Amino acid sequence: MAEQHEHSITYKTYLLTWFWLLVLTSLALGLGYAPIAERLKALLLVCTTLAKILVIAAIFMHLRYERINLILITLAPLILAVILFSFTFPETFGNPTHVIAVR
Amino acid sequence: MESSLAAEQQRILASDWGGGKSPFGTSWSKFMMWIFIISDALTFAGFLITYGFMRSISPEWPKQTEVFNMVLITFMTFMLISSSATMAMAVGAARARNPKLAVRFLALTIVGGFIFLGCQAFEWTHLIEEGARLTTNPWGVPQFAASFFVITGFHGFHVFSGVTILVVVAIRALMGKYSGDQVENAGLYWHFVDVVWVFVFAFFYLL
Repeated sequence: MAEQHEHSITYKTYLLTWFWLLVLTSLALGLGYAPIAERLKALLLVCTTLAKILVIAAIFMHLRYERINLILITLAPLILAVILFSFTFPETFGNPTHVIAVR
Repeated sequence: MESSLAAEQQRILASDWGGGKSPFGTSWSKFMMWIFIISDALTFAGFLITYGFMRSISPEWPKQTEVFNMVLITFMTFMLISSSATMAMAVGAARARNPKLAVRFLALTIVGGFIFLGCQAFEWTHLIEEGARLTTNPWGVPQFAASFFVITGFHGFHVFSGVTILVVVAIRALMGKYSGDQVENAGLYWHFVDVVWVFVFAFFYLL
């Protein structure tokens, strides 16, 4: 397994990553309180969240130094979650009495 | 005949999926940890999508800023991100074969995890005292408390498991029975717990 020892990330990189994660968290917190439309807020929160998990996965989890096939399989949950979301969420559009009536 | 068999064995072992190579370029334990993380991510994806569904069909949803102490939640987020950073440094130190430094960073990570768990216990106690239960709560639709207890409960249990694993890894490192892989696998799990909290923080507390 020689190839996984090749890349040693410096402590400075970890500290910088930590700093940027805190910046992104503050940004998300600011969005939470921002007086903007719910849909725009949801979209921007999705963007900041994706940016954060990308940074954590790439640097803290060393994913950017892994082989492309390992990187690709980690996308599976995101893709499956998008499929589950897009198949179920439209049921709630409009007046979802048919959903509540089941109860 | 025998030499052609040996050549065939060589050919199979040298091929990408023949067993002689590591197709993902990782140790088996690290690859298994990734497979576990991927399946566990689907569990949380299910929870969060169900939460979104329930929230969308509810006639109203309580304002989180009025129910939760957002200063505490932000502090919890800060603790988890910081412990993720110290965990990454612990992996770096373990890879550089510096067990003393690795144990120090692991200890910092464990402290961060315990502080997070303490804050969560405090938050749960506070909300239960105010009358929140799994099926009912004083702020409106029961789905609100159900989502809260199930999602933060599952996440909190993951943090607790993570702290337990880190304590075991730290003790083993102190005994000299550690490997860089072991610390890295524990680290992958810990960062995953952080990733889940990033989602919970954004979609449950802020949205």
